[in-house]
Amino acid sequence: MTTATKTVEINRRHFLRATALLAGGFMVRWEIAAPASAAGATVITDISDAKPAVLNPWIQITPDNWTTIVVSQAEMGQGIETTLSAIVADELGSDWKRVRRENSLVGPAYQNPQYHWQFTGNAESIRTFHDYVRTLAAAAREMLIAAAAARWKIEPEQLRVADSFIFDDRNGRKASFGELAVAASKIAAPAKPKLKPRKDWKLVGGVELERVDIPAKIDGSAVFGIDVVVPNMAHAAVPFPRAFGATIERVNTDAAKAMPGVVDIVVLRQALTANGEKSDAVIAVAEKYWQAARALSAVDVSWSPPPTGLFDSKTIEAAYETAFAGKPFEPVVHEGDADKRLASDAENVVSAEYHSGWQAHAPLEPMNCTAFVDGDRCTLWAPTQGQEMCQIVLSYGLGIPKQNVIVNRTYLGGGFGRRLIADYAALAAYASRAVHRPVKLIWSREMDMARDHYRPAFTQRVRAALGADGAPAAMEIKLVAPTILRPVSPGPFPNPKIDPLCVEALDEIAYPIENLKVGFHLLDVPVPTMVWRTTGAGPNFFFLESFIDELAHRADEDPYRYRRRLLAKKSGNERLLAVLDLAAEKSGMARPANDELARGIACGFGFGSYFAQVVEARVTDDLTVDIRRVVSVIDCGTVLDPRIASASIASGVVWGLSQAYAAEISFADGGVAETNFNGYRILTLPDAPPTETHFIDSGQKLGGIGELGPLGVPPALTNAIFAATGKRLRALPLARSGVKFRGSNNLA
Amino acid sequence: MKISLTINQTLHELDVDETTPLLWVLRDELGLKGTKFGCGAGLCGACSVHLNGNVVRACSFPIKFAQDANVTTIEGLKQNGKLHAVQQAWIEEQVPQCGYCQPGFIMAAAHLLERKTNPSDQDIDQSVTNLCRCGTYERVRAAIHRAARFVSHESHEAH
Repeated sequence: MTTATKTVEINRRHFLRATALLAGGFMVRWEIAAPASAAGATVITDISDAKPAVLNPWIQITPDNWTTIVVSQAEMGQGIETTLSAIVADELGSDWKRVRRENSLVGPAYQNPQYHWQFTGNAESIRTFHDYVRTLAAAAREMLIAAAAARWKIEPEQLRVADSFIFDDRNGRKASFGELAVAASKIAAPAKPKLKPRKDWKLVGGVELERVDIPAKIDGSAVFGIDVVVPNMAHAAVPFPRAFGATIERVNTDAAKAMPGVVDIVVLRQALTANGEKSDAVIAVAEKYWQAARALSAVDVSWSPPPTGLFDSKTIEAAYETAFAGKPFEPVVHEGDADKRLASDAENVVSAEYHSGWQAHAPLEPMNCTAFVDGDRCTLWAPTQGQEMCQIVLSYGLGIPKQNVIVNRTYLGGGFGRRLIADYAALAAYASRAVHRPVKLIWSREMDMARDHYRPAFTQRVRAALGADGAPAAMEIKLVAPTILRPVSPGPFPNPKIDPLCVEALDEIAYPIENLKVGFHLLDVPVPTMVWRTTGAGPNFFFLESFIDELAHRADEDPYRYRRRLLAKKSGNERLLAVLDLAAEKSGMARPANDELARGIACGFGFGSYFAQVVEARVTDDLTVDIRRVVSVIDCGTVLDPRIASASIASGVVWGLSQAYAAEISFADGGVAETNFNGYRILTLPDAPPTETHFIDSGQKLGGIGELGPLGVPPALTNAIFAATGKRLRALPLARSGVKFRGSNNLA
Repeated sequence: MKISLTINQTLHELDVDETTPLLWVLRDELGLKGTKFGCGAGLCGACSVHLNGNVVRACSFPIKFAQDANVTTIEGLKQNGKLHAVQQAWIEEQVPQCGYCQPGFIMAAAHLLERKTNPSDQDIDQSVTNLCRCGTYERVRAAIHRAARFVSHESHEAH
């Protein structure tokens, strides 16, 4: 850490330069947000000795003509390391074969440019970073061109950039980025660099690149958080009691301390583990992980029951019931007079209740972090979606300045939202502080299940009145859900009674409904809750796209054509209609299919993109479901890498089927009943259907992909089940209602 | 206890607690981090290795049962620096997403192909019981079929 002082100084210079090149809004933010160690402490520190020249916090170039791109977004399977670095390399003009990537540390230049907060999630990493990183890359390119122009004493307009070289075609000479980079790094960044037009994109926009992380992921060499090795490192394991909020009543660690290899047994009381959350915990620290895990069984600890009591699933379900029975609902949408219209046609009102069950994130890599607390400095090596959250929580938790918390990011063995918070990192840091050594703390799967922050159940009640044409003339929707945004968001909600993510998809319904009333009740539950892939859009589209299907059948109309007719009545639905039509076309839903398969369709807008999905399945009367194909049509503006994006959509289809079919968290004794993958049943290989994904290139603003794939799957599936059997299933997971997938004999 | 076993064709003599699962011997004693911890209960398959010709889930396999065993991990799958047919197929199909569970899938697939050179979809359903939270299953299936074509092609060449 001897280079720290120098790093700060040089980085401040980079920071100032980077600040200068971006427009006003960014600049204000950076000035406010910049800590002393500002952007990119990862950068190798000294420019003058001709190591990498740093053109800005994202781009470094070495004399051997390699471009290093510092990537802010966590690679957790979505392919962002490839696509984001391809965007930068393309705009810069780098030879793709001579591009390296580094994971960023925490710094203003790596924050989401819209939210001013450094995280990976919400399908943001392309749509909000695209213009931002292109601007940085274009500025660096213009600096390199300016350096070449100065060297050759000619006008920059005469120069051409390709494959990490600047060409002076007229005079038949060229210079590499590597030769020019030091001079370029001393040139002031242009205020308004010119971005390449789409026709000049070579690495993105329909190009399928091999993912850069895959070679290391097929031979065991990829370093995930759990694989980090730090000199003199100890290993740690942790138990929590089942009950949330339980505190240590009495603990005796003598026997455990005497176990082989044990370094110490660390007892934490009300330690800050997440944004606004404190926990008691016992942490066994030993030379090896298995020694730590064994020592836990020798800790004699009794836990006091939490003040919230030893609730179970029935208690939680009753809280939803009570909310519907009389708690206030905050208006989210209020157009026309739904109450009046519903009252005027009371005997024909259609009503229903929909329910999406509790879910765990359960990424395959259990929570883990390696930490070293050394005096007033804390260094973390974490598989995290929330580097800045780690920094803030540990800054508070350890009582040290934010910039003294260095957060190194590794590959993530899945994220899905779980790794936005810092609870696992905090425990590792507290253990390190106690034993004065680096500590790698690994949660067992049982702890992962017991101490997730869960995607809560969403329950929607709806009443609708239909007009003479069968279209909904009035609709009242009431949603009850606990918060999903609060644990991951640093700021207050615009309206404290509305979690903006919980009401997604209900706050902008695409169907024309003259009298529409959407109300939300933010439920308090004694269970930690949080975003999970699909956020609020997932459960709300399950409700909305199932209920629209119900209305179509009531109107005795084909569900695709009914949607089409309604959507066409409202302006602004052109892109949604286009994905809907193509999905119907590609799936054979548009024409009567001459086969034994049932089809269900769903569509919508979320995360900046339009989707329509069709599930084709053979469904028997005893509700055995054999899904033959899932067709997805996506309009995300422009798809940058169709293969990577298709893989993400296919992944989302499996995610959607998992939650729709059998995965569910339930409660007993004040905690979670499921302890491992035998209880929390995610989809297995035999039940993963063939998928087919089509993209419509509308050329519009880029939209998200990562959250999109699952959105239409649960309603398209239940709509297909209805088409086959006439049974309308309104509660997820469907295994509760006796649905069996073909491969379900694989489930315990 | 003292134990000797062969891992990736190298003989190792170790002194470890006999209850230690093979997984933690591989990861913490020998630094072979490619074999992953997923569930600790033999449910997810992220820790799959080959032991005496079988696939075992190393998280639930106490080291005391591995005396004199012959173990292959993901690190030992390459032969003379050349990727195994399954690994090659995995690249061509671009199978991994987060990649954490993939060594386990690859070990399960390699074992399947040793027993059946041209596995059917049903064979794959029955033999590959690993869990993938990212949902790469469709490409796992395609890559196994592709690897089978490599293997049959190579054996034709050899004859």
